[in-house]
Amino acid sequence: MKKASFCFSAAAMLIISLIVLPGPASAAQSDTLNYSWSANVGPLNPHAYSPNQMFAQAMVYESLVRYAKGGEVVPWLAESWDISEDGRVYTFHLRKDVRFSDGTPFDAAAVKMNFDAVLKNAHRHDWLEFIAQIKQTRVVDSHTFELSLKNAYYPTLQELCLIRPMRFLAPSGFPDDGDTAQSIKAPVGTGPWKLVETRKGEYDLFESNGLYWGTKPAFKRLMVKVIPDSDGRAIAFETGEIDLIFGSGGHGSGQIGIDTFNRFASMGNLETAISHPQATRVLAINSNLFPTNDRAVRRAILHGVNKAAIVKHLFLGVEPQADTLFSPDMPYCDLGLARFEHDPQKAAALLETAGWKREKGAEFLTRDGRELALDICFVGNDTLQKSVAEVIQGDLRRLGIKVRLVGEEMDSFLTRQKSGEFGMIFGDTWGAPYDPHSFCSSMRQPAHADYQAQIGLPMKKDIDRKIGEVLISVDEQTRQDLYRDILTTLHEQAVYMPLSYMTNITVHRPQLRGVEFGPTKYEFPFETIHWER
Amino acid sequence: MLRYIIKRLLILVPMLLAVSIVVFLILRLGQGDPAMSYLRLSNIPPTDAALEVARQELGLDLLLPVQYARWLGKAVTLDFGRSYVTGLPVLGEILFYLPNTLKLAGFSLLLTLAVSLPLGIWSALKKDRLPDHATRAFAFAGVSMPGFWLGFILVWLFSIQLGWLPPLGMGGLDHMIMPAVSMALMSMAINTRLIRGNMLDNMHARYVLYARVRGLPERVVVGRHVLVNSLIPVITAIGMHVGELFGGAVVAESIFSWPGVGRYAVSAIYNRDYPVMQCFILIMTSIFVLMNLGVDILYAWLDPRIRLEGGGDR
Repeated sequence: MKKASFCFSAAAMLIISLIVLPGPASAAQSDTLNYSWSANVGPLNPHAYSPNQMFAQAMVYESLVRYAKGGEVVPWLAESWDISEDGRVYTFHLRKDVRFSDGTPFDAAAVKMNFDAVLKNAHRHDWLEFIAQIKQTRVVDSHTFELSLKNAYYPTLQELCLIRPMRFLAPSGFPDDGDTAQSIKAPVGTGPWKLVETRKGEYDLFESNGLYWGTKPAFKRLMVKVIPDSDGRAIAFETGEIDLIFGSGGHGSGQIGIDTFNRFASMGNLETAISHPQATRVLAINSNLFPTNDRAVRRAILHGVNKAAIVKHLFLGVEPQADTLFSPDMPYCDLGLARFEHDPQKAAALLETAGWKREKGAEFLTRDGRELALDICFVGNDTLQKSVAEVIQGDLRRLGIKVRLVGEEMDSFLTRQKSGEFGMIFGDTWGAPYDPHSFCSSMRQPAHADYQAQIGLPMKKDIDRKIGEVLISVDEQTRQDLYRDILTTLHEQAVYMPLSYMTNITVHRPQLRGVEFGPTKYEFPFETIHWER
Repeated sequence: MLRYIIKRLLILVPMLLAVSIVVFLILRLGQGDPAMSYLRLSNIPPTDAALEVARQELGLDLLLPVQYARWLGKAVTLDFGRSYVTGLPVLGEILFYLPNTLKLAGFSLLLTLAVSLPLGIWSALKKDRLPDHATRAFAFAGVSMPGFWLGFILVWLFSIQLGWLPPLGMGGLDHMIMPAVSMALMSMAINTRLIRGNMLDNMHARYVLYARVRGLPERVVVGRHVLVNSLIPVITAIGMHVGELFGGAVVAESIFSWPGVGRYAVSAIYNRDYPVMQCFILIMTSIFVLMNLGVDILYAWLDPRIRLEGGGDR
């Protein structure tokens, strides 16, 4: 009897609590900006990768130089720099008014300490050519730092802009053995924000860095709530749990889906914006495998697919159509290349000239008894890739090309990129500041889909040599000419089908002002954001 | 009784061993390369050299039985390896998130009882009248409604339209209501019907007739005799519900951004974080087995007719 009465009273208590609970407090204009990300920001080690989140590393740490919109490199922690005539010695003159958020001065010794820590684990940064090019680092005086390179590697300044690994931790944040590869003591940087609290699985709290040398953030605090699900994020925004949606739109790591973005955009009482192109969604076409080893087939595919329809109906206009591997906005990429217009007749003519014929009653073309058939490989649970692949399948069927859809889980997909077992395969360029130089550099690595796609080209050796040359070119004109050569060849050889330019999106209420896109994909300038005054 | 408990606990050992072998094999025999996942999650380009180093680092270059023996050797010292994503010891991570899930599951269980007990009793007492029909409708709806769907409906109604409850995150009791309801609805529905059925059975039992003959007031007959006897099968059902609740937590935690072990496991699956998945499954197996043991013991304590070891008559 006692047990039963306990249950009854528990029930009563619950029912009462259900009735009298207060609703959520409305999001008044507080001095905290509420934002969300799919995971905690991590320990914020500036020299390490996952689980550190790039956008947060960029809030706390700064670089010597900064990538400005349009690809220009501008002074940042270094107020100026000199480059020796042979292009191998860079001398940086550091700003004198910079302090780390714990009050210690930012000087050449701190810069060298960070460079040395990164070089100690150089193999971790193998993917970045610049690290491999460093020969020596030297403190000239308290605010002058000298960097010597093995070769005149021109993208040095661009790669110094990267969010990781070459940004600066305060000496007080270093572990006792000085090796930051394992861990750091505390995330102390020079940036506009400092990380003050992390609750695992719940949130990370940042505070404005009161000692910041530049324009201090308008908000006192930035709360980054952990919301892994993009629908959950949309709900959190609608209910005022967060004030701002900022980041890539679309799939996987996207902040919200593009359909949700369009719903917000059509509501009329919200401010939404789409950034300039950040990177390119692209399909690599294998020049080394039958039947796409035939240039006519590759060109026919590019003319045969109705890209405008894909952009309109699948990307819902949120991502603009891409016609070249890199957006013309990227440095050295405004080449005026003629795009492959959607022209099924021209595509059919190309195939016919190349000897592809339709046997009586056959659905697909053949040549020498072999059917014109290829695989499009995508990540099985990526609905966007799947839909694009299906549209391409439909468009190419009309030309008599058989397309098999190969949707697999992520690891198998990546293994195909690496091994070259694909007819066409999805990929993204890396975006600013990596495009075009780092992306081109990686085309020389057999582990990349680009290498595998290009390896069948008769001039592949020549392309690789020119990429090697452009990276150590000193003369601006030579560099532009080499890029023109490389990118024009790749375009004319039709080894890429660019789809769309990936963009960042923002959604917020009109009372929030100063929301601007950063120069690269993971730089979110929260410091300019403020409430309407 | 003590002997029985020890025996049951000992059975847990071979059971966990078998589960661990199955889990280990299923993960390894599936498509995909853990070394590849490891590199992807560390943002290191997967060159052949990098893959080779990663395979050695993770011990993936060894024969499968050797790999398993190594893992087991460490697991018995409670070292379940490190997460590929965070690089932190897996057990610590899971134990960090587990209390949050227990809190949510416990609240759901409480909610299940708080709703199903009064409803079950009420519908039994008013058999074939309006309350009974209404409860039946509720039970049908409850069993048929998928938890994730209900979760989104609740959010739409109580957070977006009415603004009464916070849509996500962990905080006070108000944060727990929607996830707990979406997890518990099915158990509530089943339990309500179970209690109603038991009550009706017991009402026609002989001892109830005798109680009435003795002139006991109806309140005592129903409250003391019928109800208490009807609750015993409910205890068994609760053992089952705990499993359902943990399963439901995986979904509810993802929808409501509840920082629990279920959401953590889901992200581990997406990331192919094998060490986390292995440890998670073993811990869930242990909890499930221990919970059922607890139910069995409670059963014996509540009903003296039941003996756990041989010798008693039922």
